[in-house]
Amino acid sequence: MKRPIIFILLLIIIGVLIGVSISYGTYYGINKTGSENFCVSCHEMDSVVMSYKDDVHGGKGELGASARCVDCHLPHDSLVNYIYTKATTGLAEVGVHFLGNLDEIDWQEKRYHRQFYVYDSGCLQCHGNVLDNTLSSSSKQAQKMHKHYKKLKGTKKEIKCASCHFDAGHKGLRNFLNYYKPEYSIYKDKMEEKKEEVQQKYKRYGVEVDEE
Amino acid sequence: MKTKVKATFLFCFFLLLSCLYANSQQEESTTLSSNSDAKIKVTPEQKEKYHLKPVHAQLYFDCIFCHEGQGNNPENFEAPDEEVCLACHKSKLYLAKRLEFMDTLKANPHNSVHDGPNLYCDECHREHEPSVNMCSECHLKEIKNNIWMKATP
Repeated sequence: MKRPIIFILLLIIIGVLIGVSISYGTYYGINKTGSENFCVSCHEMDSVVMSYKDDVHGGKGELGASARCVDCHLPHDSLVNYIYTKATTGLAEVGVHFLGNLDEIDWQEKRYHRQFYVYDSGCLQCHGNVLDNTLSSSSKQAQKMHKHYKKLKGTKKEIKCASCHFDAGHKGLRNFLNYYKPEYSIYKDKMEEKKEEVQQKYKRYGVEVDEE
Repeated sequence: MKTKVKATFLFCFFLLLSCLYANSQQEESTTLSSNSDAKIKVTPEQKEKYHLKPVHAQLYFDCIFCHEGQGNNPENFEAPDEEVCLACHKSKLYLAKRLEFMDTLKANPHNSVHDGPNLYCDECHREHEPSVNMCSECHLKEIKNNIWMKATP
């Protein structure tokens, strides 16, 4: 009778140890691949990172608080969904980085599709009470618009936080994108100068500097 | 003994389940009192006549979002003051800053060499009819050929 009890106890202890180490490993991996340092290691993200560093969400606020890329760009409704979306989008990004033509990415076009890769559950993770219209800090206009948001939520006409807050997280993104790839040809020379200027300014965030 | 093993397994299983769903957020109830909204009837013909720009249409704005306090007959609505536009679009300086890259050639429509950031919104932007580009009154060729500006949204 004694032996099986010891055996089961041992099994549980070993199980817990294996479980803890696996979950710690997973957590560590997920955490490490969620930092902007990891995201900026692919240089097609340079202008996105610069505009992020210029925004309150990138730590430009008075308190220096910052959101990480994954805080907005991954769903936070359930852990399963979070990990699944992280894995699938991560793989897609890796594919684009190594196999795709990076010069052909239409970043300007992507700005119009922001609703698909900015998750409300992410916004609300930090701005938890923002839809509560009794907040003293929300203006009349904000109350009106958030009421509209709540009215449409769950219907076919649902809108997202990023539908209205179009530049949240990336202040002046259109400018930075233009420095890399001008929308109009006449800016070409001027944008080369600007690009060099901003590359030097944001170098410490891992932004690649053109050496010519 | 078997029951103990079973119980341990069950315990672990439920622990895993609870971990997975611990983060699931409860949906907030979205019932709202709408007594402050004036009831405005808009006929399909009126909708066609006063269609919205795509950027506003995709947000499903009601007429009174801009025409607030103008009664409940769409035929009598007037163009709202620019404060109404700026309630969402922040300020003219902010808008000028968004197109800062165009300042390098002094071609920023929101901060031009002629008017600075002081133009009225509706000098170029129209909501219910095609917008116009005031710059094109003189710079016709540049605008027409998309040399330094696209069509006004």
